[in-house]
Amino acid sequence: MELLIKNGAVFDPKNGIAGDKTDISIKDGKIVDKVSTKASVIDAGGRLVMPGGVDAHSHIAGAKVNVGRIMRPEDTRSGIKPRTKLTRPCTGYTVPNVYAMGYRYAQMGYTTVFEAAQAIMKARHTHEELEEIPIIDKGALTLFGSNWPTMDFVREKDMDKLAAYVAWGLLASRGFGVKVVNPGGGEMWGYGKNVSGLDDVVPNFDVTPRDIIISLMKVNEMLGLPHSLHLHCNNLGKPGNYRTTLATLELAKQVKPSKDRQVMHVTHIAFNAMGGTNWMDFESKADEIANFLNNSENITTDMGQVIFGSATSMTADGPWQYTLSKLVHGKWSNGDVELEDASGVVPVTYYRQAISHAAMWASGLELALLTKDPYKVLLTTDHPNGGPFVNYSEVIALLMSSKKRQEEIKTLPPVFNERTKLPGINRELDFNEIAIMTRAGSSKVLGLLETKGHLGAGADGDVAIYDIKPDQIDPSVEHVKIKSAFSSAAYTIKGGEVVVKDGQITATPMGRTFWVDASVPGEHTEVMMKDIRNKFKNYYSIGLANYMVQDAYLTHPKVVKAGVVPVEVS
Amino acid sequence: MTVITDALCPFCGCMCDDITVAVENNKITEVKHACKIGAAKIMGHHRIKAPMMRTDKKGDFKEVSYDEAIEAAAKILADSKRPLMYGWASAFCEVHKKGIFLAEEVGAIIDNTATVCHGPSTLAVHEKGLPSATLGQVKNRADVVVFWGSNPVHAHPRHMGRYSVFAKGFFNEKGRKGRKVIVVDVRKTETAGMADEYIQVEQGSDYLIISALRAILAGQAAVVPDSVGGVTKEQLVKLVDTLKAAKFGAIFFGMGLTQSMSRYKNIDNAISLTTELNSFTKFVITPMRGHYNVTGFGQVCAWETGYATAVDFARGAPYYNPGETAANDVLTRKETDAAMIIAGDAGAHFPADSVRHLARIPVVQIDPYWNPTTEVANVVIPVAICGVEVEGTAYRMDGVSLRYRKLVEPEHPTDIEILEKITERVRKIRGD
Amino acid sequence: MQTVTIKPKKEIKISVEAENISPDKFAGKSEKDIQSLEAYLGNHKTTLGELFSIKVEGRGAAADTKIVMEGNFSRVKRIGEGMSAGLIMIKGNVDMHLGTKMSGGKITLSGNADSWAGREMKGGELIIEGSAGYYLGAGYRGETCGMRGGKITVMGSALDFLGEHMCGGEIIVKGNAGILAGISNNGGKIVIEGNTSRPGSEMAKGTIIINGAVAEMMPVFKLEGTEAVDGVTYKKYTGDVIVGGKGVLYVK
Repeated sequence: MELLIKNGAVFDPKNGIAGDKTDISIKDGKIVDKVSTKASVIDAGGRLVMPGGVDAHSHIAGAKVNVGRIMRPEDTRSGIKPRTKLTRPCTGYTVPNVYAMGYRYAQMGYTTVFEAAQAIMKARHTHEELEEIPIIDKGALTLFGSNWPTMDFVREKDMDKLAAYVAWGLLASRGFGVKVVNPGGGEMWGYGKNVSGLDDVVPNFDVTPRDIIISLMKVNEMLGLPHSLHLHCNNLGKPGNYRTTLATLELAKQVKPSKDRQVMHVTHIAFNAMGGTNWMDFESKADEIANFLNNSENITTDMGQVIFGSATSMTADGPWQYTLSKLVHGKWSNGDVELEDASGVVPVTYYRQAISHAAMWASGLELALLTKDPYKVLLTTDHPNGGPFVNYSEVIALLMSSKKRQEEIKTLPPVFNERTKLPGINRELDFNEIAIMTRAGSSKVLGLLETKGHLGAGADGDVAIYDIKPDQIDPSVEHVKIKSAFSSAAYTIKGGEVVVKDGQITATPMGRTFWVDASVPGEHTEVMMKDIRNKFKNYYSIGLANYMVQDAYLTHPKVVKAGVVPVEVS
Repeated sequence: MTVITDALCPFCGCMCDDITVAVENNKITEVKHACKIGAAKIMGHHRIKAPMMRTDKKGDFKEVSYDEAIEAAAKILADSKRPLMYGWASAFCEVHKKGIFLAEEVGAIIDNTATVCHGPSTLAVHEKGLPSATLGQVKNRADVVVFWGSNPVHAHPRHMGRYSVFAKGFFNEKGRKGRKVIVVDVRKTETAGMADEYIQVEQGSDYLIISALRAILAGQAAVVPDSVGGVTKEQLVKLVDTLKAAKFGAIFFGMGLTQSMSRYKNIDNAISLTTELNSFTKFVITPMRGHYNVTGFGQVCAWETGYATAVDFARGAPYYNPGETAANDVLTRKETDAAMIIAGDAGAHFPADSVRHLARIPVVQIDPYWNPTTEVANVVIPVAICGVEVEGTAYRMDGVSLRYRKLVEPEHPTDIEILEKITERVRKIRGD
Repeated sequence: MQTVTIKPKKEIKISVEAENISPDKFAGKSEKDIQSLEAYLGNHKTTLGELFSIKVEGRGAAADTKIVMEGNFSRVKRIGEGMSAGLIMIKGNVDMHLGTKMSGGKITLSGNADSWAGREMKGGELIIEGSAGYYLGAGYRGETCGMRGGKITVMGSALDFLGEHMCGGEIIVKGNAGILAGISNNGGKIVIEGNTSRPGSEMAKGTIIINGAVAEMMPVFKLEGTEAVDGVTYKKYTGDVIVGGKGVLYVK
């Protein structure tokens, strides 16, 4: 199958193309230099062409997402669409069903999305849902930050064992990378407690969050995993937490990356850039985080942009979710996973009139606008924590138009101007920078830039065409058009197939699930497994023989090889 | 002889995964480690041998081919204006997916057996969420365990041994001796007999008692009368002190709470009590789910449709409102004009009104076993047994999913094969 | 003034979803247009004209539209859903969700209404001369607010959970009410002339007045003494103390 996209105004940052009229050729699902005359042709007519969108941090599948659905029928009833001959029914706004998840991402021009957290013991569930999400490619990051084996091996300072455990855990969960959430806090939440910073000692395990982060960062690089450590910092959601965040960012200096990417990705900064001492004197300190990023290498972040309105907070940060539920007087689900981590789900609403919400809204934007290099800040809403991913077009419009930001700021409480630097920021991002934050950058952060997030030969045939002519629009003024275009792609092409036309689903192929198979010396695995077997014999409530995710749950797998002995990425 | 280890038990929501099964000539000859009920379930009983049909429900069944039975089932569903597809708890998640697709196709209401056991728990979760944990968390940490309106000795025989009472864990090396076990129930059950403390409550007064406990916990003991629901205030205050003193507490509730007066509001209240206890210590709450995969249907239905059960596809988009869209709602109102009962026994567990209506309308049964639903069926399609003859996924009561092994080769087609064929036939009949 | 008269053509056994029966939907429309409005009989898509005989006199805006319904509508759901103005007069019984989400206008019903009448009502008036089912003036599953405004009067009785999650408005029940009336009340006013049990649980705000007997009181209210309301002396309770509630419960 061949496809030729002609006359597009192409933005392909990796290949240095910024708005040039370039043809894109796709053959057998991959971008090629040329196609034959038999190829079907899409005439982009000067419209904006980008690689398919790549989301490196979103909560799209698994136990906590489903907990969100089950506890929120009031959310499910919004966004209802009946089935058609081609599509299954869609439901939900902050917690869409699996079909809406795939269709809505595709309709925005996104073709690859990574679920940001799964406990190994519940990974089977994640994959059951991933297998039902249509169209997009996906993968899931695996939680390691409070796992008992992690903490044991960190305490023993045995990096070989820890590396063997991470490799085995990725296999057991069919995970793509190492996620750490409030390291140590998940274990502490087992008794209703939490860590308060990098140097609290986790009782019984005698390790600190600092030890856990540094050790996992080291083994992540020992294993040469495509993605870096992916970190949700301690103290998330607490006024004044930007200090913890800055101290955490410092740790990245201690480890050298094994590849051309960061060693630490710190996620959803909007929740980690908080100044002040309480919710009354709360202020955004995103400028300090941006300043740090501007003066350091090897660290990336994502916005975790807050969207006013309904959201569902869901994270492995169990203690924070409990605190949040008390703050909002809302319903609360908790989901501790034995020997592994915690989790919680809390519905929230972000109000313009609440200064803390307004300042959080500002801090995601501040981070993106004050950080010079867009490769260092990805566009996310930490779906559905900051708000649902369907609002990415709103975020793009905000980043591209200072005028739009000023219009929004007028609707916020007057004290807003004292709590954030946003009103004074005039920077407006261009299409190339947006393409980096939503495509090239996220692919690079994930370690997938070879095949994702660009339009050079060899890349996946994933393309988005938007109904804007970049040379005929002033995004600063016409931000309504920008938002509208990015919310509904003129075309989305996935693996060379047109899956969306004029915002409507036209085909529903199944995407692949990426996971990382990391090799370690057999003797390291053997030693490590002695500990693991003991944990199953005495502490887990299921048998080791029934723990690992079976092949049956990955009907469209895409294995990425890694390992202590560097292996080529297949 | 083949010996299969680490097999899973397809009886209750405990989903014990340490079963050893001996197989000889494709027959299970021995089951080890399972409880008596589980072992009996794995050994099997009263299979339906071949598909059967009858037009007159008072008449005898006639054996037919699978194709004939499938055609008849498809026609019944395709012709219906208000079809109901009920059951699912004794089948795998893979079956649920096919069932939901068929329900969409025919515009049916799809509901599962939770409607007569823990359905109310889901309604409560809509109100308050569910602060819970995996069972291993309880095994490793819990020092106070409360069974409220649940009787594991009887209904979940290995729950106490594997997870909640006798189990030894990392922070509880002593097992039973390291735990305080409290039973709250209207009658002194076998479980109550083994407890450190038994609190007898008057029938239907759970809601009042939980509210009283919450008031005491909130420091408002002054408003609580001297006796609530047959329990003295002194006892209530003492109970609150015990719960607060726990390092890790766990509440396991059963149908004594979900099916008594105030129904789901009892659970709603118990969840709030659990949440509020977390201001003092760590507490979790877990429903004691009955059929091994009743939890799984809720999970699959939630990710496929957004709603956990009782989904009405009449208008092509999912609509959910138990009280209106649950199986017994439409049966007692005599709205249902055709039903498919699969992997669940409506005939045995539904109220008399509902069963009477089932007896009046065309009913398709898909099940390995002859049971009271067979008595009201027109078309009966026997299938292989999930968890014995078929491998697949189920969710434990705490939401942990596990993969069941195939122990012996089936002689019957699987639920999935039957549902796929019915779907295909329905599409033909409706000209899609 | 526009008057629309609706009668069932035949007995309806399977519930009909007829949210199009509303002054807002009928206003200014011809008989033919109204007859062709969509309705669902179970999973069967049909029209109002197929199920009902419909007569239209005159033309008018929603506020000037009167819908007169005569006959047995006990299997017709969602009548008057979301209506903002006008009048619906029903002589007979109706199924669930009568006047759900209505924001204005008036519905009078001579017979009984099944559950969820006045669900999530925002304004207007609903008068039920017979009895109401469960969840009168309540919310949808999982929502924090049920009825927010308007007034519901029931001449007969109501079943359990009336006014659940009410955030505003007023409900008057002349007969008895089932258990847990006014549960999670967050600002509504409920008057029950007859008997009830376990009222006001988890009430944070609002007022509940009970003139009949309370079979069981929730053990979560603080007795504040007696107080006269409209010349009647009540025991005055405040609570629910668990949620730090400022609700007021008056019991004779």
